[in-house]
Amino acid sequence: MIDTKPFRSLMRRNEHLFVPIALFIVLLVAAALRSPGLFTSSGVAGAILVAAPLILATMALTPIVMAGRGSVDLAVGPLLGFINVTLVQWLVGSGWTSPVTIFAWALFVGAAYQVLQALVIIYVRVAPVIVTLSSYLFLTGVNLMIMPRAGGVVPEWMTKWGAGTSIISPVLFVLIAGLAIWFVFTRTAFHIHLRMTGADERMAYTSGVRTNWVRIGAHLLGGMLVGLAAICHTALISSGDPVQAGTYTLQAITALVLGGASLSGGRGGAIGSVLGALNMFLISHLLATFNFGMFSGFATQISFGLILIISLLINVLLTAPKIQAMR
Amino acid sequence: MTSTPNTTFPRMKAPARGRMLQWIRCNRPSVIGVGLLVALVVMGSLLVPGFISVQNARSILLLAAFLGLASLGQTMVALLGGLDLSIPYVIGAANILLPSLINTGMPAGLAMAILVLAGLVVGALNGALSYKLQGQALIMSLGFGFAVVGAAQIYTTLGSAVGGNVFAPIPAWLTNIAAFNGRFFGLPIPPVIVIWIAVTVVTLFIVRNTWFGHSLYALGGSRVAASRLLISEFRTWLAVHAISGGMSAFTGVLLLGFSGGGYVAVGDPYLFTTVAAVVIGGTSLLGGGGGYGSTVIGALVLTVLTSLLVGMGMSFAAQQAVVGLLIIPMVALYARTPHIRSQI
Amino acid sequence: MNDRTLAVDLSGVSKSFGETRALVNCQFSARAGEVHAIVGENGSGKSTLAKIISGVLREDSGEVHVLGATPRNPVEAQALGVATIFQEVLVADEASVIDNLYVGLDGLLRRKFSARQREQEARSLLKRFTGLDIDPSMPVGTLPLSIKQWIVICRAILRQPKLLILDESSAALDLDATMRLHGEISRLRDAGTCVLIVTHRISELVRIADRATVLRDGSTMGVLDKVDINEKNLLELMTPRDRHVSEADNRGSSKKAALPPLMSISDLRSVQGAEPINFKLEPGTIVGVTGLDGQGHERFIATAVGIASAHQGAPLVHLPDGSIAAIKKLSDAEALGVAYVSGDRKREGIFPDLSVFENLALGLYRDNLGPMGFIQRAAPVSAFAREVQRFSIKVGNASNKITSLSGGNQQKVLVARAFAKKPRLIVLNDPARGVDLGTKRDFYRELRAFADDGGAVIYLSSEIEEFIGFADRVDVFVDGGIFRSLTGDEIAEEPILAAMFGQALEAAMTFDMQRAAS
Repeated sequence: MIDTKPFRSLMRRNEHLFVPIALFIVLLVAAALRSPGLFTSSGVAGAILVAAPLILATMALTPIVMAGRGSVDLAVGPLLGFINVTLVQWLVGSGWTSPVTIFAWALFVGAAYQVLQALVIIYVRVAPVIVTLSSYLFLTGVNLMIMPRAGGVVPEWMTKWGAGTSIISPVLFVLIAGLAIWFVFTRTAFHIHLRMTGADERMAYTSGVRTNWVRIGAHLLGGMLVGLAAICHTALISSGDPVQAGTYTLQAITALVLGGASLSGGRGGAIGSVLGALNMFLISHLLATFNFGMFSGFATQISFGLILIISLLINVLLTAPKIQAMR
Repeated sequence: MTSTPNTTFPRMKAPARGRMLQWIRCNRPSVIGVGLLVALVVMGSLLVPGFISVQNARSILLLAAFLGLASLGQTMVALLGGLDLSIPYVIGAANILLPSLINTGMPAGLAMAILVLAGLVVGALNGALSYKLQGQALIMSLGFGFAVVGAAQIYTTLGSAVGGNVFAPIPAWLTNIAAFNGRFFGLPIPPVIVIWIAVTVVTLFIVRNTWFGHSLYALGGSRVAASRLLISEFRTWLAVHAISGGMSAFTGVLLLGFSGGGYVAVGDPYLFTTVAAVVIGGTSLLGGGGGYGSTVIGALVLTVLTSLLVGMGMSFAAQQAVVGLLIIPMVALYARTPHIRSQI
Repeated sequence: MNDRTLAVDLSGVSKSFGETRALVNCQFSARAGEVHAIVGENGSGKSTLAKIISGVLREDSGEVHVLGATPRNPVEAQALGVATIFQEVLVADEASVIDNLYVGLDGLLRRKFSARQREQEARSLLKRFTGLDIDPSMPVGTLPLSIKQWIVICRAILRQPKLLILDESSAALDLDATMRLHGEISRLRDAGTCVLIVTHRISELVRIADRATVLRDGSTMGVLDKVDINEKNLLELMTPRDRHVSEADNRGSSKKAALPPLMSISDLRSVQGAEPINFKLEPGTIVGVTGLDGQGHERFIATAVGIASAHQGAPLVHLPDGSIAAIKKLSDAEALGVAYVSGDRKREGIFPDLSVFENLALGLYRDNLGPMGFIQRAAPVSAFAREVQRFSIKVGNASNKITSLSGGNQQKVLVARAFAKKPRLIVLNDPARGVDLGTKRDFYRELRAFADDGGAVIYLSSEIEEFIGFADRVDVFVDGGIFRSLTGDEIAEEPILAAMFGQALEAAMTFDMQRAAS
């Protein structure tokens, strides 16, 4: 007889992934029917290019959300945009175009800004949502001040990234690098600290977890992933754009919820977030195959809104019985 | 100035100075808010030529009126410890739906009434869906807003050749209500300012004197204690979201008179300015403290500040950045979360 | 300077929370290798003391030495070898048993134990204490409360502490489990660990404590050695001298049996599998309700006022017109003239942002609504004046926030709110928690007056002394049912204690005699 116990415990731990996996399969089938072109080499390459910023942005939200206190980073889109416009306007504008400089800048700015937010959350003790809300406003304004309208050029080596002709592309490597960072992170004890802090901060604190360090670490990790997302985004649009990146906030939060993460903390992971982001991508891809004409933008908007509503409700229905049991 | 329903009660005589201090302590947010307002006006008069003028006062009041009307619902939701991020989208939706309805030949007054009613219903639905989510309710309201504005845009685009903006002949009376040079019974005051004052008076009166108003503060202070007094959290939550939806729609239709054409993004600034007005006024986002009286001060402070920044030649983007930076210290003043040490 | 064997040494420690002074110039010391009890009534400051020793709170003034250092936060305390089990069962429901046990043991990045090691250790530890084979990868949320309590205890034991603090932490354990816990405590003590037990439950200590420090109102009242640890000595130090002899005997005159009951309950089961409850309450009676933690008396109170619904049956209220109505939810209780007062002021009593007046009036507006839901202030204003007088509440200014009052006066406002509704029956859930003696006396006096006017009272308390000279009957709960109803002279320390532990009456006597002999 086969021992099913490890399998069952694996299932139990990943209960929250059932819905995103099922949705992913359904969407893949639908995509295969509506748009077989997606499954060609260039189709996949294009998909990677388009989906990479969203995947990385969603992954960036994951550790921050996992740290609890309802800390959804509403500022993730504008921060991504901030890195994008500063890269184009300041670095390229000043002639600093080497890949090392560009990557270092993106990772540093993302991490530093997120750590700053963490410090405000911890020491000023303002609710995370408010901190990121004010960040959203601040960064959106700053982005427009740095670059009033879209334009500029990316470093020469990056222009080729945006072609999206072959699967094995630099964007894929950046994506893999992001996943590798995540994988290393889950191997450390820090991952456990993060989960426990998010699940019950008081328990973690009294049990000797350095919860402040954990929160800072979560933001640091998230910030680095925002940096990678910004690089992929810059490669995708091949220019600087002060406004467009702002839309990543809602998309990434939707993808996060769609991937089964709990917005109240403790539960979440890269697999769910990647699946959520892929599902988002597939949905917009599928919507694009219908000829909505001038409705297309609105159709996307309404579907994203509805998906967010529905996945939040599903999340609640899944966790509600447990909360009941707790009382 | 706050509308916290602390009934003045026949009290023991205290020395006059002590009572003064007491009053200041009880109304600290309002005192700070008014102080901020005075400071900004003084700064404006020194830095910006022509800041103290009837013209400028009128334009500040006009803009503050729109903000104040849009922030009414946000204040009530915040009193329960939530935030409604669907406000800008409902404003935008109402703003494009009104000309679209007028184009079908419907009288503007009827169309406005229908839209406000629809706003109430949409808000209630938002409340019903987000009730169980508690801490995540604001994300739900964000998604809800997107769905609403998407639906409205699809509807308005259906009959027209171009997507997005909607134009229609707007009745002169609606323009008069909201326009900068509008007149109220011959007086050179845009009627929307009068409407705002009326709404403020009615709101303060209702909050002070009805069971609903007292339920808001009770729930914001302690959910469990409120439930022991048979205050229904669900019904109150539903009601404040309905009010928020209704007031957003109302603001949206009035803004049509201001701008002259249906423009879906007209609501966008209100996503954060409503939150900022609530916060600057001193309503605690943790629930329980503050009120619409505070938000009125907050809306005025924010508008005067914006006017000052414009006068100093700052771009819209820079204004946004400054307001963003202002939110955190203001929240830190009124609504710091307790330290974890005190929660064990 | 310090005795080398002292594990804990505190001198002159004070700590205030706003207006409340939790500790006032408090002295405390405990040696390695002893079980030291910190005893005191609710609100005496013993939990604050434990939290300062474990680094959760910082003292305002005074000297704190714990294992040779002064821990500033739980991380430092843990590094010194302190493990604390808090009153509240702190577990993460979504996380696995293993994660809940090993939380905080790893370095910031490096894991200290392999997955295999964790799994085996967790399994064997839980097996040792609970006797059950629990899959350590299970999420904790699916386990019953008693197992969660063991997880919290095992979490502390895993750390091999030099100083173990138990803050009222046997609450969720049954008698058998408590014995196993005591066995473990003795083993740790013999291995040289200093064990601090914080409790207000005296009977628990008599068995295992080597020494006991008694706190009252935030100050150390005395330290007892093993031979002196008995209920009499402890109570003497814990309570003000004049407490036992109630100022006036508040017991009612004893012939009301002829009256029809105000509330009756038959064959009610709070939860499935609990003992059935039969309960009758006549007008003019004050019934005390008590039991060890988790024995169902709190659930019973909640059911009686409709906050919790019973698994089977419902409380019935007999109305003056002879009809009978059931309480299924809180609004039924309200409509039938049953008022409820909670002792958990912070959570389910006061509205911290509102004024003293509003806190009382909020309970009354609904009954006096004018047209269109407008509230009318005349009735609440006169009720406020009346109740302030009746309970001699020190209000200061009625429009001040309620949090400006002392705990006792806050509680008076809540009790006054119940009185102001003019109910027929008042149900109180440990209302005297952390209030001063004067306030308690005001409560006893007014509740008795209320009963004498034909009302009835159900009064839950975890402190037995409260019932003496006050209650007409005490119902003691064990296993979710009423184990024994005590009346008349039976309402005394020993018989109530015996009933709480489920002992027969005669056994209680011999237990007492044995102890007297030893």
